[in-house]
Amino acid sequence: MPAANQTSLASLHDVELCAYAAAGERRAFGELVRRHGSAVRHLLRRMGAQAAESDDVAQDAFLAAFERIAEFRGEGAFAGWVKKIAARQYLRRLQRDRRLTALAVEGVEEEADVYAGDADHRIDLDEALKALSPAERVCVSMCYGAGLSHGEAAEALNLPLGTVKSHVKRGLEKLRARLAPAIEAKTGGASLEGRRGHG
Amino acid sequence: MAEIDFERRLERLFGDAPDMGDAAAFAQRAEQRLDRGWTARRWLIGAAGLAGGLIGASQLMMSNVVQQVATAEHSARTLSAGLSRVTPTTDMVSALSGGYGVWVAVGLAVVTMGFAVSRVIEEI
Repeated sequence: MPAANQTSLASLHDVELCAYAAAGERRAFGELVRRHGSAVRHLLRRMGAQAAESDDVAQDAFLAAFERIAEFRGEGAFAGWVKKIAARQYLRRLQRDRRLTALAVEGVEEEADVYAGDADHRIDLDEALKALSPAERVCVSMCYGAGLSHGEAAEALNLPLGTVKSHVKRGLEKLRARLAPAIEAKTGGASLEGRRGHG
Repeated sequence: MAEIDFERRLERLFGDAPDMGDAAAFAQRAEQRLDRGWTARRWLIGAAGLAGGLIGASQLMMSNVVQQVATAEHSARTLSAGLSRVTPTTDMVSALSGGYGVWVAVGLAVVTMGFAVSRVIEEI
């Protein structure tokens, strides 16, 4: 694609850019990074990474994605594919720094500061996630942000499936309390059983 | 709110990630890292090719290749002479064994160089 400039790249679909990237066109991959870099970095921050760390991991994830771009067949969204790579890379980093062990042995103490806001409260996922324990945060972000099943998350975290499910369940309860208090009050509250429990 | 609705809403919230202010700079850094990796790979392949070429050339010199080529040329002439008795169309063999062989080799080298230069330009 010798004549391709930034404008023409911007008009291409992700799948087309992936095809160019698979042929070694690095500018095409740069456009994909431009489109989805923020989403990947947001996900990593929501998993608990600091800003600089999330940028590093996201960079590594995109480079890994470029190396493995031929594996991407366009069956799902490119962003989802990269998010999974990034989430796994972040977990590997946690494991390397022995921070993952801390997640695994983390207690299941209930947090008393469950937010009981009003209906006008602005929906802010990032703020709501702060109420979750690190393990809950990682598990919820992996399942609902990176699109991993409970089973895949358990495998990546090297935790028992039941532990991951209970982290997700508690995390969802806390998020629901923060994100939809008014609606909860109207519906009377339904029990939270993860629909991803088949993993 | 039904649990499934809440989960879908949560997925949408996770998917809703506004562009960061430094998105362009982030992408540029990623491209630079890709370029660096590519350049390093090209240097590595080039260095490996050079090393292989040097080893090959030294092996050729060590094996007294000039004398062997002279012997091969003599054999080719003998073969050509033998073949000319069988069939009159042995121009190619005699051309390779004589002075024409050099020109054929030069022609091939020019074609190879042209191919290599076009590849390099394409890469750049």
